[in-house]
Amino acid sequence: MFAAETLTGPSIPWFTLSPLLALLIGACVLMLGGSLLPQWPRGLYGIVTALSAATSIVLCFFLWDNLSDGRPETIIGDALAFDHFAVLGTISICVAVLLASLTTSDYLVREGEDGPELFVLYLSAAIGGIVMVAAQDLIVLFLGLETLSLALYVLAASNRRREESQEAGLKYFILGGFSSAFFLYGIALIYGATKHTNLGRIMETLSSQQAFPRNDVLLLAGVGLLLVGLAFKVAAVPFQVWTPDVYQGAPTPVTSFMASAGKTAAFAALLRVSVTALESRVDDWRPVVWVLAVLSLVVGSVLAVTQTNVKRMLAYSSISHAGFILLGVEAASHTGSASAADGIASAMTYLLLYTVLVIGTFTIVGLVAGRGDSASNLTDFRGLGRRRPALALALTVFLLAQAGMPLTSGFVAKFGVIRAAVETSSYAIAIIAMLASVIGAFLYLRIMVSAWMEDAEGQDAAPPVPFLSGLAVTAAVAFTLVVGIVPGWLLDATRQVITLAGR
Amino acid sequence: MFAAQAAGGSALSFPILTTLVLVPALGGILTILTSNRRPESTKFVALVASTVTAGLSIWLLSSFETADAGFQFVSQHPWIRDWGIGWHVGVDGISLFLVVLTGLLFPLVIAGIDPHHDHKRYLGWMLVLEAGVMGSFISLDLFLFFLFFEIVLVPMYFLIGGWGYDQRVYAATKFFLYTMFGSAFMLVGIVATAVLAKNSLGYVTFDLVQLAEGAEFAASSGRWLFMAFAIAFAVKVPLFPLHTWLPDAHTQAPTGGSVILAGVLLKLGTYGFLRFGLYLFPEASVWVRPLFLTLAVIGILWGAIAATMQKDLKRLVAYSSVAHLGFIVLGTFAFTSQALTGSVMQMVNHGISTGALFLLVGMIYERRQTREISQLTGLQAVAPIFAAAFMVVMLSSIGVPGLNGFVGEFLILIGSFGNARWWVVIGATGVILAALYLLWAYQRVFHGEPDEDNKSFAELRPREGILLLSFIAPIILMGVFPKPMLERIEPSVKALVAHVETNVGRGFEFEKKDIAPVVHSGTNPSETENKDDEGHGG
Amino acid sequence: MGQYLPIIVLLVLAILFGALSFLASTLLAPKRPHAAKEAPYECGIVPGREPPQRFPVSFYIVAMLFIMFDIEIIFVYPYAVDREFLGSFAFFEMLAFSAVFFVAFVYVVARGALDWGPVQRAGRIDSSLEGVVSANRTTTSTIRRVGAEGRIEEDQKSAVA
Repeated sequence: MFAAETLTGPSIPWFTLSPLLALLIGACVLMLGGSLLPQWPRGLYGIVTALSAATSIVLCFFLWDNLSDGRPETIIGDALAFDHFAVLGTISICVAVLLASLTTSDYLVREGEDGPELFVLYLSAAIGGIVMVAAQDLIVLFLGLETLSLALYVLAASNRRREESQEAGLKYFILGGFSSAFFLYGIALIYGATKHTNLGRIMETLSSQQAFPRNDVLLLAGVGLLLVGLAFKVAAVPFQVWTPDVYQGAPTPVTSFMASAGKTAAFAALLRVSVTALESRVDDWRPVVWVLAVLSLVVGSVLAVTQTNVKRMLAYSSISHAGFILLGVEAASHTGSASAADGIASAMTYLLLYTVLVIGTFTIVGLVAGRGDSASNLTDFRGLGRRRPALALALTVFLLAQAGMPLTSGFVAKFGVIRAAVETSSYAIAIIAMLASVIGAFLYLRIMVSAWMEDAEGQDAAPPVPFLSGLAVTAAVAFTLVVGIVPGWLLDATRQVITLAGR
Repeated sequence: MFAAQAAGGSALSFPILTTLVLVPALGGILTILTSNRRPESTKFVALVASTVTAGLSIWLLSSFETADAGFQFVSQHPWIRDWGIGWHVGVDGISLFLVVLTGLLFPLVIAGIDPHHDHKRYLGWMLVLEAGVMGSFISLDLFLFFLFFEIVLVPMYFLIGGWGYDQRVYAATKFFLYTMFGSAFMLVGIVATAVLAKNSLGYVTFDLVQLAEGAEFAASSGRWLFMAFAIAFAVKVPLFPLHTWLPDAHTQAPTGGSVILAGVLLKLGTYGFLRFGLYLFPEASVWVRPLFLTLAVIGILWGAIAATMQKDLKRLVAYSSVAHLGFIVLGTFAFTSQALTGSVMQMVNHGISTGALFLLVGMIYERRQTREISQLTGLQAVAPIFAAAFMVVMLSSIGVPGLNGFVGEFLILIGSFGNARWWVVIGATGVILAALYLLWAYQRVFHGEPDEDNKSFAELRPREGILLLSFIAPIILMGVFPKPMLERIEPSVKALVAHVETNVGRGFEFEKKDIAPVVHSGTNPSETENKDDEGHGG
Repeated sequence: MGQYLPIIVLLVLAILFGALSFLASTLLAPKRPHAAKEAPYECGIVPGREPPQRFPVSFYIVAMLFIMFDIEIIFVYPYAVDREFLGSFAFFEMLAFSAVFFVAFVYVVARGALDWGPVQRAGRIDSSLEGVVSANRTTTSTIRRVGAEGRIEEDQKSAVA
């Protein structure tokens, strides 16, 4: 009306956003095609999802190459960051979508509920996750977080025939709502303290307020609340209470997606916010991360020992893994030293490797759980070595990898974070982590004992292994072993993620 | 700094050590891939793989440069450049005989002892285990060593858990967790070693030779690092307070597993002390010397007393292992070349004689379905050859002159007497106790009149006889003529002692003073031993 | 350390308060346990009437759709007011937003959210769910009256006494 000139929007680098767009297009196709066309051929929904995730991964490789020539930068008016870190996070999440959609397809066919809904939710959750990974602004981060979370709530409750699934969805929703509220309040307080929500500006403001005495009350309260929100999403102790119930109750493929993509997105956001925006206040948040890491490691592995349900066990083990990744975050907090960068790289590598591992493991658990998705007790795994040797062998590879055995990707992951911790002279936490992994090993051994050394009475039926699930498991096993034996190429690549945009 | 590698380069261009790891590993995979319907082909593949390994290890022995103290047959390739990790393997006098022992023991176990079920998986795990053990003994890279050290756990876990006796799952889990507990510290120690060494080296590397020769650690950090390694090795040996997994694992393991466990797996600990304790952290290992000597002596006595009280024959042998390994650790921490040579030799001796004892106990169990000493009596009357074989092996384990056990034990005791007098005095009572518990057990099992159950005890079968003979032959050979072995071990051990002395400097003068007369008066220890052997045993 | 002092004091006070409350209630409260008190959401009052009757879920869906469109209007309204200033960038933004919104709407309609009248069966009812989906199941047969049991037993007991 009164405006003399018109608003000029920020320039939008479409190609940089292409991985996101590929997922978005996939979601729209599924939603429209799925609702307007009659029932698609069996498994096609899953394949379309997998294809759009694969497209997204391929696009990520192009972007990675582009980045290697240029510099990391912030895009769309500093809303998103475009750097190796974001691209690697995107790849992790897309890998999660790819593998999870293959197994979900078989799961839905088995339950007689094949349809596009779950896949659309996967894709929109992934979009949210990718936005979190790349978010350069706290508000954008919150948008991503909510997109991811809302999709995950529905996914957790998606098995309408199992009470546990409903319970899982409701619990996750209520607690997740709480944590989002904390998170949002944290953003508000940080805005109050710095007058900015953009990570780069916050960093500048804070580093210009270094002189003592300073009044950081608002900021620190905000950071604390922010950490609560993110620690909830990564399932770090003491914000882990929902994890076992939700992991157990949710449909198994969904659990695998939550444990992989959800963790990756939240950890990447945690890393970016803490290392970029709060760089000058590392001394304030490092102890918090330290405590979270130690608690997660110890509580996760100790509580896992007494469980009898494999999904619950793996839920606790994922808490313990969160502790390991926090080790990398802790190392990244030593920003003064050159080895802080190793913390970022090792945490991101861990996330990628863990994504594949955990989906592989849960896929096998889901196959064993069978129709109705309910036979996931330790006793249901008895005699698996005799009934399905190949499946049991794959499970063993995954479990050994989770325990951190050499020649598997799990060892590469653990070695990376331990190395980062030791380089920053955090010996205590490194030793605690290793001891926790010994306790954790007991848990994996129990599953292996069940599968190989105990014979089942009256359980002679071999769980069927549909093609797509078999494909996903094979790919995951291959990846686990290849990275375990020749990790050099991956480490070379992930070392590039240490340069964050806008830093 | 690279002297050791240069020396090794002269040997062979063929990567024999790499092959030693690859052959059993590929053999294991091939074994798994063989058809279920033709069990004989499975066994054939496994036998071929292990025999080829054995042949290669014999070849290794024959082309080993006797007087060379450095690493030989070295092959070195970068692996994970980013972390400074490489495939660096080599053997010296210390590891040579352990490699050969590994190479020879596995085909014997594979050929001689059949599992009761599921041959394919059993043999597959066996071969993977062989590759792991082989790799541990030849690794000259900390990361590589850790990797093999951990890999060994998995097949052993499945062997105990899958083919063991009633309490197998408990024993296997205990074994796995104990060892992993130790490795947890070692992994942090390994990383910290590489990171701290960066200060003096200027780059990150996990290469043992470069770290040991080039890196300098502050005294306090060196001690911490040593302890981190030592916990892992102490569990594996096992040293006194950490030994409780061993009796369970041994008792519950299948015979083949027990033989391998006693024969080579326990040596990973004692070998680790030599290679990664003394060589890498000389100053720290001198500093902790009293502690480890004390633990070793406690282990000797504890093992011996516990063995005396066992009702189960296999448990008895297991506890005798604790005592024997105590001797090896005692010799290791004496820091004289005599005692260290004795330790290395005793590692091999213990592998052979305790391995054979487990084999014999396994045969008893197979015949009688019990290992209770009280259930067995008068076996000598019904199976004299069996009894004779048992006698020879047992005497070797006791350390009777003329058999191999004596040479090692004697070298350890005499070599440690100079600078660890009181420990030796107390430890030596372990020798007497060994005679007590083993002879007493022999008396109860073999003497007397056989009762109803034992009357039908079968005599040694030809196949078992051949198997046992291949254990007894080296027992006697090494006892009578240990010189070829000692002269290969000694140069490397002397170099190690010299390395410790030069690196420790002034703090170590006490040992230097005491070592000198021992070395001089004995001229060449190996010759002294020869005379002694022939004098007592001949 | 000094700056953490208030937090520590607060922490100690919080713990003290919690501990004291528990202690006091343990010491002071009369102990007369009965089953009704063990029940979740116990408030001491037995429910007086049945919970509200069921009504069609379509109401909710329509209500939610209304909220969705409401929110869309919240976006569209400012754009309409200041269209000239916002220019082509905002125009395409609005277009993209509407498109995504429309896809969701198409999905909702295609799935029958606005189909009133007799509910369409999905058709794939599992045979294993025979007992769960049946005409015999009513609110009174399926809903457990939480908290009543203990109290009723208690009453009966006292009546006998």
